[in-house]
Amino acid sequence: MSSMSPSERRLQKELMSLIKEPPQGVTVDTESVHQNLSEWKINIKGSEGTLYEGEDFQLLFKFNNKYPFESPEVTFIGTNIPVHPHVYSNGHICLSILTEDWSPALSVQAVCLSIASMLSSCREKKRPPDNTLYVKTCNKNPKKTKWWYHDDSV
Amino acid sequence: MLELLQIGGKLTNTLSIYVKTNTGRTLSVNLEPQWDIKNVKELVAPQLGLHPDEVKIIFAGKELSNATTIEQCDLGQQSVLHAIRLRPAERERKASTLLEEESPPEEPSKPLNETLLDLQLESEERLNITAEERVRAKAHFFVHCGQCQKLCRGKLRVRCALCKGGAFTVHRDPECWDDVLRERRIRGHCESLEIACVDNEAGDPPFAEFYFKCAEHVSGGEKDFAAPLNLIKNNIKDVPCLACTDVSETVLVFPCASQHVTCIDCFRDYCRSRLGERQFMPHPDFGYTLPCPAGCEHSFIEEIHHFKLLSREEYERYQRFATEEFVLQAGGVLCPQPGCGMGLLVEPDCRKVTCQGGCGYVFCRNCLQGYHIGECLPEGDTASAQNSCEYSVDPNRAAEARWEEASNVTIKVSTKPCPKCRTPTERDGGCMHMVCTRAGCGFEWCWVCQTEWTRDCMGAHWFG
Repeated sequence: MSSMSPSERRLQKELMSLIKEPPQGVTVDTESVHQNLSEWKINIKGSEGTLYEGEDFQLLFKFNNKYPFESPEVTFIGTNIPVHPHVYSNGHICLSILTEDWSPALSVQAVCLSIASMLSSCREKKRPPDNTLYVKTCNKNPKKTKWWYHDDSV
Repeated sequence: MLELLQIGGKLTNTLSIYVKTNTGRTLSVNLEPQWDIKNVKELVAPQLGLHPDEVKIIFAGKELSNATTIEQCDLGQQSVLHAIRLRPAERERKASTLLEEESPPEEPSKPLNETLLDLQLESEERLNITAEERVRAKAHFFVHCGQCQKLCRGKLRVRCALCKGGAFTVHRDPECWDDVLRERRIRGHCESLEIACVDNEAGDPPFAEFYFKCAEHVSGGEKDFAAPLNLIKNNIKDVPCLACTDVSETVLVFPCASQHVTCIDCFRDYCRSRLGERQFMPHPDFGYTLPCPAGCEHSFIEEIHHFKLLSREEYERYQRFATEEFVLQAGGVLCPQPGCGMGLLVEPDCRKVTCQGGCGYVFCRNCLQGYHIGECLPEGDTASAQNSCEYSVDPNRAAEARWEEASNVTIKVSTKPCPKCRTPTERDGGCMHMVCTRAGCGFEWCWVCQTEWTRDCMGAHWFG
């Protein structure tokens, strides 16, 4: 334990608390984490009474050694990418806390809750207007995209 | 530290102390920790030709009472005590108070470190504090010690702001960091010189000047200062670190409303991460500094010595960035010569800049190429023009310039200038939406159009 870097210690603690007391609809794929502490797969269930009820999604969190002073890289992965105005079909998410509004006081749990609430507040399932161009040309890492946040309502 | 303890052990904890008088004499004495101030007076007074009752002992802003023991005083090896001869009026007053039964307790009896609990705590917190917490909170100051090259425990000391003499007694204890760090907050009585210092013509008493010493090395005399790190505290409330969530013994508390806490290791990581992206901010009053990592308002670190907690190399980098930032903010230019980068402050209307005190390069302020008469040449043509010019001046110099020209070319090929501040910017992958990373600029521009970023850019070539 003592040989761990502060960043690894922090991740270890977040992992423990997320496994022990997960927020509703959020589960960590512990097998993926045990292989590599810097890449977590997290399952999110669409909440009841929302457009995504009954759907299952998977998020991939990638952390670098500057975490939590630098934000994690978060994308939707797998076969079911939610159809949402802020989620591109390649899994990239346009969410300000993942880039410029990130703060080390936030956590994996806070990001999960924020994404869950982003899904829950959606009133019409559709892709972002620039989805085709973006997906064709963008960098693999969503943090290399400079997002322009425009719409806070969904 | 270990060595110090061993030496201390051999000498059976005897402290070798200097005693200064206001007549310019300095005595060297050895004191045992269990002695009290009365013993000290008995030892010192005869050497000054005085009776023990005629002497008072002043240390760290307080007159010490006879019953105070040396151990209580927080004295280190080679500390300086001040022995002052009482004036006759004072002696009479003392004698009469002794006669009165249970006269008011001698207030300034204990040394500053004993009475001064914790500038760390807010006043209401100080009232609701348990005995155990009280011990942990007792006058713990942290300093960056230039000699030890690390974070050390510190000691608070006082002297007269006018004559800088240490035979100075404060009128009241400091109650908060501002009392200590700001000037002219607490007055006192100075007896360092034969005639007491006065602050003004009206004869008001002088102000106290507080300073800090390192508590971890033998005092190097009255000029051996250390920089106080007022945000570093003993973690008496066991607050977990914002970043790693460990509860550390020593923490840094940011000056934001929420008083966010990080451990020292995570503070270093935070600084490194910001330094790597050149994201320190030039603050008009504090200098080149950082806010709370949680992004709180009004949370800039005021005492920039906190950045001395970085390694020497990192701190030098911090200083270089800070200087460059200052020069640019002040409307200056940096010498464009590779490997130089000297900051130069020039008159606003002067176009011909000489790198004085640096490499001596003479350049045009507008195009940052070698100085020329007439209009600046458009980009691309300048390299050859400059080369031929340099060649005619000095062949050796030109050969060197050719080598360095290679990196100039690299910079030119792989970068574009920020349309606003002209900082050469490299696009290392990602989208075409550029944000100037130079602190204070932050201009959002388009890599393709080299103008301000617009919705049209996003629609047409967000990703090229």
